[in-house]
Parts: sequence; structure tokens; C-alpha cells
Amino acid sequence: MAKLTLRMKNWLEGTGAHIGTATPDGIPTVVVVDKAKTSGDAEVRFALSVAQIEQIQQNIARNPQVAFGPGSIGSIRAAYQFKGQARIEAQELVVAVDEIYSTKPGPEAGLRLDNLPFESIEQFEKTRWRDSGPPR
Amino acid sequence: MAKLTQEMQDALKIVGQGGAVVYLTTSSRKGKPNTVGERFVAVFRDEYIVIAEMFAQKTRVNLNENPVGVITLAHPVRGRTWSFHGPAGILQEGLPEDYEFHGVRASDVLAEWGDWAEKEPPSEVPPDIRPPALVQRGVIILKVDYVTDFAPEQAGKIILES
Repeated sequence: MAKLTLRMKNWLEGTGAHIGTATPDGIPTVVVVDKAKTSGDAEVRFALSVAQIEQIQQNIARNPQVAFGPGSIGSIRAAYQFKGQARIEAQELVVAVDEIYSTKPGPEAGLRLDNLPFESIEQFEKTRWRDSGPPR
Repeated sequence: MAKLTQEMQDALKIVGQGGAVVYLTTSSRKGKPNTVGERFVAVFRDEYIVIAEMFAQKTRVNLNENPVGVITLAHPVRGRTWSFHGPAGILQEGLPEDYEFHGVRASDVLAEWGDWAEKEPPSEVPPDIRPPALVQRGVIILKVDYVTDFAPEQAGKIILES
């Protein structure tokens, strides 16, 4: 199981995410939400509308794998990709994150972060970005 | 094939403020999705969206085995809640002379977008988020088959199709 840093949590909670799902044979569908809640080390919850649930519930029931990155300005400032296993629970998409990648353009695009010691992930962030979350 | 509206074409081609940012979602054949932000994006011949391929490793693996994608507009997004769906692939130098991707020649796409840094230098992108060098390996291309809305209350509603 991965462990999200405070910066990751701040960005996800502040800007939501673009969330990729797929059928078991790989036809993707994306929902976009503008905020999230995080709890524990690696759980992220996204409130879904009725239409969003209709759009992805079959995918999630048959294939719980999802991938997501921070939305709006976070797509620029918080270049992460999170992957995990999802379920729909009471109007929410609940994701247990098990992979975290940097998607910062350049030589570190695609670098897997969750395998690093937690202090190293925090150090990575401190030396690559100046903020600890979206502007208030 | 769906011809993009002028509003969509403009949104995918915002000049200034660092340009538009989109998410490109692909999937492995076994259904493991990959969702990554992309900032060098443009429209080709009204019906195709092109993205600079800057060593997008998983995207390439996915498109090689499962050539389909979804592009969602990430920034600026107000009133532009669009998901573009269709077949997708990667074009780069070295393909056969007459190689075609769903109705366009790879050589024509690459002639226009094969050297992004030359055509549109990334000078407007703020220094702390600008790639250290715009090293481009080719062009990711998606032929838009249809467009859906991703606004929460209308998620999945088709707003443009062929």
C-alpha cells in the first residue's frame, strides 16, 4: 500500500481529479470531480453525481482498477499519477491507492514514487516544487 | 468521425498563460488505465487531436496493444467540460512512407507537428513547470469519434458525434 504525502493530499482535496476507469478489455471512460477527501495513508474518496455513477459503475464492478491525476490547475502544478483499486460506496468512489508516479515532464516523467522511502518522496517534492498545495 | 466545433478547437489551442492542459487516458488490454496530464496539445484538420510524444512510456505500451483513448480538458476548464473519445496511436519518423492513421498520413502530421519546439516554443510555460528540454519522440494522435460532457450532472452525455 502506498502512502500519500501532505502535498498530494492537499492537491487532491483542493482540485479533485480526472479519474480513468476501463472495461475489463480496456475501453476507457473518464469522470472528473472537483474535490476529494483523503483519509489514512492511501484512501481517497470522490463524491460522484448520479450521472457519474451510471457512467462508471459497470466498469468498477467488473474492473476496479483506476488511475487519476489532480484536476484544473493541479494538472499543471501537481504532476502526479495515482493508481489503485476502487469501489463505489454511498455515492462515493473510494480508492485505495497502491501506486504513485511523478508525471513531471522531462527525465523524471513516469518515475515511481511509492517505492521510495517516505522521507525521500517528501524530499523529492521539496526539491521539485515550491508549494505544499493549491493556492487558497 | 466528428468535426470539432470552433469553440472546442479554440479551447484546445489557447495561446498565452501556458496554453491548454489535457489529460490523456489510455488502458492496457487487460483494463489497467493510465491517466496523464499533457500540455503540448493541438488540433489537426478539425477532427484529430495531437499531443507531443515526450517519452510517454506507459501510454506507448498501452496504445501499442490497445489503440484507443480519451482526452479530457483540464485547464482552463470553465464551461469546457469535454471528453474526446476515439482511436489513438503514436506517429513518429521511420514509419513507412505511406503509413496512414485513420485517414491521415503520418508524414503529413509529422510535417506539421513533428517539431513542436520549432513550431511553438514553450517559452510561455513558467520556468518551474517547464520541461528542462522539449525532447519530442513523435506525435500522439486521437481521431475524435465522439465527444461527451463530463460536467457532473450530465456526465457521459454525448454532445457531438459523427
